[in-house]
Amino acid sequence: MTATIQRIIVRTAVTDVPELVTLPTGRADTRRRRFHVPRSIERLFGVVVLLGLWQLAASAGWISPRQLAGPSTVVTAGWDMAKSGVLGHALWASLQRVLWGLAFGIPIGAGLALIAGLSRVGDDLVDANVQMLRFVPIIALQGLLIVWLGIGETVKVFLIVLGVAFPIYVNTSAAIRSIHPGYRELSKVVGLSRLQMIRKVILPGALPGFLVGLRLASGIAWLLLVFAEQINATKGIGYLMIRAQTFFQTDVIVVGIVVYAVLGLVCDSIVRVLEHGLLRWQPGR
Amino acid sequence: MSTDQVVAVRDVRRSFGEREVLRGIELRFARGEFVALLGRSGSGKSTFLRALAGLDDGADGEIRVPRRRSVVFQDPRLLPWASVLDNVVLGLPGRGTDARGRTMLAEVGLAGHEDDWPKTLSGGEAQRAALARALVRDPHLLLLDEPFGALDALTRVRMHALVQQLHTRYRPAVLLVTHDVDEAVLLADRVLVLTDGVISLDERVSVPSPRLRGHPEFIALRSRLLRELGVDETAEGAHDPSNNTGDPQ
Repeated sequence: MTATIQRIIVRTAVTDVPELVTLPTGRADTRRRRFHVPRSIERLFGVVVLLGLWQLAASAGWISPRQLAGPSTVVTAGWDMAKSGVLGHALWASLQRVLWGLAFGIPIGAGLALIAGLSRVGDDLVDANVQMLRFVPIIALQGLLIVWLGIGETVKVFLIVLGVAFPIYVNTSAAIRSIHPGYRELSKVVGLSRLQMIRKVILPGALPGFLVGLRLASGIAWLLLVFAEQINATKGIGYLMIRAQTFFQTDVIVVGIVVYAVLGLVCDSIVRVLEHGLLRWQPGR
Repeated sequence: MSTDQVVAVRDVRRSFGEREVLRGIELRFARGEFVALLGRSGSGKSTFLRALAGLDDGADGEIRVPRRRSVVFQDPRLLPWASVLDNVVLGLPGRGTDARGRTMLAEVGLAGHEDDWPKTLSGGEAQRAALARALVRDPHLLLLDEPFGALDALTRVRMHALVQQLHTRYRPAVLLVTHDVDEAVLLADRVLVLTDGVISLDERVSVPSPRLRGHPEFIALRSRLLRELGVDETAEGAHDPSNNTGDPQ
């Protein structure tokens, strides 16, 4: 039995000559040698196709301008609004609401996270309440807020403050909690005071989470702005859009949508730049 | 406590729930003395070190240690968001701390890495930075909690030499907690073994320096310590996987 197996192994070892293949090499620079379109521009190709189809549909009359204005009409409308100052004026009004919302919402969220993260009493008082409230859709509070705060600027900014504070709180406090307990031990060993520990360990350790929160918050701020500006607005992008709605000016509505999108994108880019600058120390960056 | 003593410990006990980990530790040691504390895993050697570091106030008994003491943990524990230099001088009071930090970094062979992020350091380099952070405080007592355990064998040999050199220069009293018998015999003036919550063996190391692993006294002491730790060298061929005390090298 053993002898048979051995004979088979020997025979295959002789007849089974390994076939060698030559792997492609020396192609390291081929990509650089040819003319190369950056990937980011390549990716725009799909967008251009879609815009082209939309323009085609509008020009050929397949879509009525009462339903959706074509890209060229939108651009013209946007250009006219920008020239006459209507757009700038509305933009400034909207931007102010968002900035005020962030200006109050960020410190409130981060402050509460610090209170909850630094002491047990703070945690008991703050965390359970915030975690409970964060499941309430903020839009659902709109009615109550109007009763309390009226229909002026305050209620608009307040909605945004709420929307900003929650993601900032949730992410910052999670980051504080996830700071390695060894760092607290280290702080004790090297004799850091409580204030020094907060400054040198807790705050920098919470920064990545805070920035994640900030990115979410800046997105939510614009989202809530759309809702807020539907409450009896007399200025702002939302106001322009609601007025356009009553006159079936779909071109103006699309201009408003585009402006919202661009502003959201700009905010996101600002936070990205912040992350890039502030989190260089992170492994994998 | 006489002026020459840096550690005076009397009847230190520590329990976690029902389990009494330390059951009456008595220990004194003098300025500049290099003491190694051996023990099987779970013997409470790290618990004892944490008590001496002031990181555990749950122990009973009397513990007297110098105010100026530092700890090197098993992991380098560098703050990732602070530069290497800022890590070294973390919490140091007064002026001129940066200059002292730079000098100490040069001593551990990390000159030029002052402004680097910790993530750029190798394991050995990071542990050297941790050593610099401990020594820049000019401690009377240096507590080393298995500081070479996570390093590869070659790096460990170099770290041993560095620690010896720095001990000769700065003369802090050292308590090195380890499970590596060779490391203890190589570095320490005195070796302790912790068994069942008490110090079961306390012996001066008389191996002449430079201490070579092949020296008869080295081998003899190594055997005695392994026996005290419950490892039978003659049966080492029959490797017992549940016993991870001996020499990991």
